[in-house]
Order: sequence, then C-alpha cells, then structure tokens
Amino acid sequence: MEVKFETNSFAKRLKSMLRVDFRRMFTMPLLYILVGVCLAMPILILVMTTMMDGAVTVDPQTGVETVVEGFRNTWEAIGTLSTESAGMSMIGMCNINLLYFLAAVLVCIFVADDFRSGYAKNLFTVRARKGDYVISKTIVCFAGSVLMLLAFFAGTMVGGAIAGLPFDTGAAGVRGIVMCLLSKLCLAAVFVPIYLLWSVVGKQKLWLSLVGSFCVGMLFFMMIPMLTPLNSGIRNVMLCVAGGALFSVGLGAVSNTVLKKTSLV
Amino acid sequence: MNAIEIRGLSKNFGSKQALKGLNMTVPMGAIYGFIGENGSGKSTTEKLICGLLVPSGGSIQLFGKDYTDENVRAKVGVLIEAPGCFPNYIVWNNLMLQAANLSIPNPEEEVSKVLKMVRMEGAASNRYKNCSLGMKQRIGIAMALLGHPALLVLDEPINGLDADGMRIMREILVDITKNNQCTVLISSHILGELEKIATHYGIVRGGKMIREMTAQELDVDCRTYVSLRTREMNRAKALLGCKYSRVEEDEGGSIRVYDAASPEEIVTSLYENGILVSEIQTDKIGLEEYYIDLMQEKEGR
Repeated sequence: MEVKFETNSFAKRLKSMLRVDFRRMFTMPLLYILVGVCLAMPILILVMTTMMDGAVTVDPQTGVETVVEGFRNTWEAIGTLSTESAGMSMIGMCNINLLYFLAAVLVCIFVADDFRSGYAKNLFTVRARKGDYVISKTIVCFAGSVLMLLAFFAGTMVGGAIAGLPFDTGAAGVRGIVMCLLSKLCLAAVFVPIYLLWSVVGKQKLWLSLVGSFCVGMLFFMMIPMLTPLNSGIRNVMLCVAGGALFSVGLGAVSNTVLKKTSLV
Repeated sequence: MNAIEIRGLSKNFGSKQALKGLNMTVPMGAIYGFIGENGSGKSTTEKLICGLLVPSGGSIQLFGKDYTDENVRAKVGVLIEAPGCFPNYIVWNNLMLQAANLSIPNPEEEVSKVLKMVRMEGAASNRYKNCSLGMKQRIGIAMALLGHPALLVLDEPINGLDADGMRIMREILVDITKNNQCTVLISSHILGELEKIATHYGIVRGGKMIREMTAQELDVDCRTYVSLRTREMNRAKALLGCKYSRVEEDEGGSIRVYDAASPEEIVTSLYENGILVSEIQTDKIGLEEYYIDLMQEKEGR
C-alpha cells in the first residue's frame, strides 16, 4: 500500500485560498452592513454639521460661549489641508479617518468567524502553511477596507450635494484630492495587518481582538491627517505604499509566528 | 511504513500535563479504535496529529514524514468535536469551501460524491444551522472525506447518530479502508460499535498509552466464561466460588464463571451438590468489559 502525495505550488495554494476568502468576504452580510454605514455616515455628518453651523452653545457653569463650526467645503470630510490644524475639532474627527476603526470591526469579525465556526480547524489540518492564511487574509481584508473607503467617498459626494456645501477644490486642486484618496486607500494596508495580528492573537475571543485593535489603532490615528492631507502629492502616496508594505510584511511575519506557535483550537 | 507513529509525545496546558510521553503506532489501512476515559488525552492526541496544537515534546510522523509536512497534511481528513462549518451557509457551499481549500480540480463532482456517500444528497441546499446533530455529524464526515484522504482522524463521530446513522458510518469506514486504502483513527465511547469495525486498538489512560493491540490479540485476550442459572443462585455461587478463581453475578442475574475448563465440569460439580442447572452457555467478554477490567486492574482494584 502506497500513498501518493501531491505538491502544490505557492501560487496555486494562494489562488485557492484567495478564492475562498474573497467568496466569504463578499457573501458576508457584515461587509454590506459596514459599506452601508460608510455610505450613510458622511451624508449624516455633512447634513447635521451644516444644520448646526454657527449655532452658539453656552456652558452653564462657566458661561463660556462656543460657536459650532461646520464644514466649509465638501472635501473637508475627506481630509484637511496640511497647513490647517487637524486637531481635536469636530471636523478634524468626524471624517473619513473614522473608517480605519470600522475596518477593525470587519477584520476582527471576519477572522474570529474562522475560529468560532471551526473552519480554521479544517483549514489548518489540510494546510500546514500559516503564511498562506496570513497573506490571503491581508489581501482580502485590504480589499474590504478599500471598498468601505470608496463607499465613504461616494457618501461624501451625496452628502455634500444634499447639504449644499461647495465642491470647490481650492488650494488642494483635483490632483491633491485624488492623491489624498489614494494615500488613504494605501494607508489601509498599514491598519489591516495590525488588526489581523490582533485577530490571530484573539482567535475565537472577538472582544480581545477588537479591544487590542482599537487600542493600537488609536496610537496611529493622529498620524492619518498628517500622512494624508487634502493637498497630498505622489510623495504621500509613496509613503503610504511603503508603510503598507512594511507593516504587511513585518506584522504578517509576526502573525504567521503566532499561528505557528500557539494552539489553533 | 506506518500511517501514524508517535514517540514520547507530551503536551502541557499550563501546569496540567495532558500527555505524558505517549507512544502510538497505527499501521496503514487500519481502523484504529482509540479508547480512553474522559480527559485521558484522546482528543489532545488527535488535535496534535492534525497540527491544531503545538506539542511540548516528542515526535509525530505521518506516513514516515514529519506531521508538519504540507504534502502529508493535505491527505488528512478530520472531524474533531464538531464539523467546521459556517452556520449561515448551505451544506453545499460549506463543502465547496473545503474543496477549494484542498485545490480539488472538479469540486462539484467531488462534493456530490461525498454527499452521496454519507446519504446526504437531499440536504445539500439546507442551511447548516438548520441541520440536526446527526446530519451535522454526517456533513463532518463528508467534509473529512473530500480530497481522498489517506488518513481520517475522527473524534467521537458516532455521537448523536441514530441506529441507521451508525450503520451507515460503519459501512463508510469499512468501505474507504478497503477501497480507498485509507487509514482511520477513531475515538469513541460507544465501544460496542467500535468493536464491530476496528482492526487495531489503543487504550490510553492518564496521558499514556497503556495497551496497543490488534483485534485478533483482543480476541485472544478476551476471556471466555460460562454463564448459568439455577433455582439456588446463592448456594451455587458460593459453591463455585470455592472451586474457581472468579465467579460473579452479572446484571441479568446469571452467574458467570471465568476460566472454567468446561460447562460440563460445572454442571457435574453442581449436580453432585444437589443443584440443578436450568440454563447454561459459554460466551466471551466484549471490548467494553475488557476495557473496564483493564481500567480496574490499573486502578489496583
């Protein structure tokens, strides 16, 4: 009695795993819920802040008056100019950058589902290489995050039109806005490996993955407006691509080690 | 070459030692019944074989290669605890996902084939979460059978199956070992069912293998006994107790005399003491009793 073993190439292995992961990701209701949220969020933000623009609130204890400032321009929901302050103001917080936290929800639930359903058990029994899993998950989750960012962008256009905000590109120019959006898409490749690492650490424990992802994501949150201002150039895009590649490879290797060295059930 | 060869396998969970230098040899083509109490280390061993846990020490070889070898692992089918299926997916899609993971060239054909094997063709479009426990077990078996595995690792696969389901499972396992040259490692607490199909046995206790044997060796080891009934059971039992080393009353109320030379000798002995035997037969203890005896022996009872 003799057993014949077939050898599969890396390309074949990755292709089959990507096919499974893409199928899973794009048949998962969660993705469409999150894309819907991303589409609705800028509409609500732009319409509500425009309604509140100029409203004066008074602190009853100190008597200090605060004037609510809304968005002056539709593009401010995508990013701020590098010369402007991107601090803790409402328009500095309520913009596309919030999506990097929503991406954590997508990645953590997507990976935790593998472990909670027992699918990971089937997968890792027949697939000894954990690296394939990490690469495939990084690519698919990146694609999901990009879709969410694009949905937010589309929602911003609709929201800007409904709120009657100008679409004047101003100092940023069309090129700057396109580069800004491209940088933000590439920046997802920095956040996805962080969330993936926490997801493989947490495995079935979704709460652990989410808490870890949010905490580390928060550390990088303030860096987003600086790296991807509204008047971005090719240098910003290249910087985000390099950061994404570095984080994907570096943290991917750590995720791979975590899967190799820890129990999978 | 053996399908599984384990030497000195140990696994610690924190301060708890689940496996203490376990050795195991599963020949190719065998249906290996893996028996042990709850917490004895059966599932841990199976998870280690499947690469789901990291061993603390020892070695595992599958078909002469290290268990981490990716080519070998592609030939392992598994059903541990519950089948790994997405609850909202239909049965067909769950199987198609695993077929894709195995890079099976013609997945539709293969999935249809395994569903037919486990008599689940009609449930292919059911959502997994709506399937009964027995159906889920069969789906798990179907999933394990995808890609013509050379080794099947099954943890309690007959739990939750009805009598018909158990019969089907038996037929499948015997069929794949004969026709597909597959080796099966199966753990179960339903020893009566296991006895009907297993060709080899491994009995584990406290994280150690305490006995490995073939079905033929078990047959030789299983002691014969004479079971009898009389109107004076207590007097008969006392009388036989003086003559034979082990005399017991079984659950059915009959007297069992182990290691007796022949039934005639017992009948004669009782007749000489004025006791008439109304019923007598010779039988052999089964796997279950053998296992209980062995456990009691190990406990020093």
